[in-house]
Amino acid sequence: MATEFEEFHAELRSVAGDLLAKDRSVEWPVLVDAGWTGLEVPDEFGGAGATFAETAVICEEIGRAASANSYLGSAVLAVGILKALQPNAIRDELLCGIASGTVRAAAAVGSLDFVADAEGADRLLVVTHDSDGTPVVVASAGLAVTPRPVVDETRRLASVSTDGIETTGALRFDGDPEAAVRRLHDRAAVAVACDSLGLSEAMLSATVSYAKVRHQFGRPIGSFQAVKHACADMSVKISVARQLVVAAVDAVAQDRPDVDVAAAMAKSYATGTAVDIVGKAMQLHGGIGYTWESGIHVYLKRAVLNRSLFGSPAEHRSQLTKRYV
Amino acid sequence: MSRATESEDMHEISSESRTQAQFRQRVRTWCEEHIPPDWRAAQTGVSDQEFARFQKAWFAELHSAGYAVPHWPREWGGGMPIAEQIVLYQELAAHDAPRLVLAFVGIHHAASTLLVAGTDEQRRRHLPAILDGEIWVQGFSEPEAGSDLASLRTTARRAGDGYVVNGQKLWASGGMHADWCLLLARTDPDAPKRKGISYFLLDMATPGVEVRPIRNAVGDSHFCEIFLNDVQIPATNLVGAENSGWQVAQATLGAERGMTMLELAERLGNAGFCWLVRACPTDDPLVADRLAQFETEITGLRGLCRQLVESNDAGTAGAADASIVKLYYSELLQRMTDFGAEIGGVAAHTDLVKSASSGWESGSWVLDFIGSWEWTIPGGSSEIQRTIIAERGLGMPREPSVA
Repeated sequence: MATEFEEFHAELRSVAGDLLAKDRSVEWPVLVDAGWTGLEVPDEFGGAGATFAETAVICEEIGRAASANSYLGSAVLAVGILKALQPNAIRDELLCGIASGTVRAAAAVGSLDFVADAEGADRLLVVTHDSDGTPVVVASAGLAVTPRPVVDETRRLASVSTDGIETTGALRFDGDPEAAVRRLHDRAAVAVACDSLGLSEAMLSATVSYAKVRHQFGRPIGSFQAVKHACADMSVKISVARQLVVAAVDAVAQDRPDVDVAAAMAKSYATGTAVDIVGKAMQLHGGIGYTWESGIHVYLKRAVLNRSLFGSPAEHRSQLTKRYV
Repeated sequence: MSRATESEDMHEISSESRTQAQFRQRVRTWCEEHIPPDWRAAQTGVSDQEFARFQKAWFAELHSAGYAVPHWPREWGGGMPIAEQIVLYQELAAHDAPRLVLAFVGIHHAASTLLVAGTDEQRRRHLPAILDGEIWVQGFSEPEAGSDLASLRTTARRAGDGYVVNGQKLWASGGMHADWCLLLARTDPDAPKRKGISYFLLDMATPGVEVRPIRNAVGDSHFCEIFLNDVQIPATNLVGAENSGWQVAQATLGAERGMTMLELAERLGNAGFCWLVRACPTDDPLVADRLAQFETEITGLRGLCRQLVESNDAGTAGAADASIVKLYYSELLQRMTDFGAEIGGVAAHTDLVKSASSGWESGSWVLDFIGSWEWTIPGGSSEIQRTIIAERGLGMPREPSVA
């Protein structure tokens, strides 16, 4: 059983790696053609009926490529919200639209100031509260969206104004709405942790390759212990991050009761260490690593932004600490 | 803390099969009935003789339950499936059972050496004896052969139907209690250094063997020097071919790394972390943040150990996987015990002895912290582990050789 999934994931990973390696920017139709936007959309709405475990594979590969695309807003967040809703014609139509590519949706999970991929989206899903204070979702096409450019040029964030938003006829969560919102946050955090894991691995691999070919003092710099021990530390951190991320992905995919703990650990550790790892990659590449052309800055900026998205490491750890009292 | 434990419990149980869950219940019941209550207090400040008595009694207790050597092949008294061994060590840790200290080299290093490279006669002689309490010590390191173990100088000269050994061994943990020694000695002084070493089983009662304890940084004396003066070893006690001792040692040294590391990681995650939480003012957000960081790292370590055990079993472990686990555990232990000492304040310094038979974290934080160098230095120092990870794991270029 596990092997079957492993083979499927390996294939998905390899196809994604090839596709994402072509260009830094990947447009919406390419994501649609690859079948990624509908990966988690149920079969009856034209999707592949996969789980978050498969979405996580794509997130990791997107991080590995530091790819600029709208997968996070649409397939990760919007599809995540829609799947948490009660059956409803609007929900079904949106799921069909995202899978077929006719609708590019984005979703505000958490802050309305920094909504991923909101600019130019056909539909915006906003988690808000109805008049009773119950969390609901409003699917809107007419909200004011103001781009918020960030240092990391691979991500597009925007603020969304909910002035005059109408909650009558809003979409309702299936089951406990508060719990559903918490799980959306966990899902978003874990998706970003996957991204940071992928980009960390890319940077370790680039650094090891560079250290084998770059010669100074008549030998490859990778033969110096100062360099190889730094790479060993990167490798150890990645191994630990992978354990935490795999456990969190599993918890989200299976909707396990400990998902909040697993998500907090994965998000805090993987996104925190990714910054250390990319920073060390820039350091070990020396002067060339600091140039615009080397592209390492792209990874560093993305790693630093990932650390801030959907809760900082300290915020996630503070969730863990509530269990110590 | 109670919620943390419960949710992990649910996780364990939800992801395991019925047989494993039943086995877990059986081990839990056994632990509740057999772990001596208050053993920690009773084993604090005891004499060496009492420590040895307690260790042997606990080993016999585990053995009668079938829990002493679960990793051995079935025909020698083991044969427990890997999934159940994981459960066993998780539960022993969760119930804060005493740790097997004296039997360690025997049930792990000696047994794996005999199983991989020993003769049938050697196995029949020693494996049942180990189950009856035969204690082993490792005679590898020397004053001039630490990280560069292959430069060892102890010699074994062929003489008639055996060998005559002369030299000095160092850092032989538990040497004064040992009945037998795993000994590396040079049999060909002219061969390249890794090709002139042989592997012997040495009876510690042989004339010419002298053991002297060395007091370590904590104040304990479990490390020993072993002096070997014209010590005779029969040729039947050679393991593997003459001059192939380095290969035998390489093949058997890491054999225990998976499950023993899993046990230590489980201990760190159970008693170790619970004591830390108890010792901490958790209402201080800075302190609580550090705790959450440790809990996260321990969770990662436990995952790594589990994966190492499973991939060892499947034969798919990477060349540096055991080094990653050893390095990460050692340094996490050191950071955690350092934090415990810092949080414990001056009062933590008044614990002058810690309980024997405990894990590497005992809650006597200052002593635990000092003792943590016993992990970052021996068994391949952290520096050696980093070199292994970079060269064997990442394929980075070797250091140019000086010679």
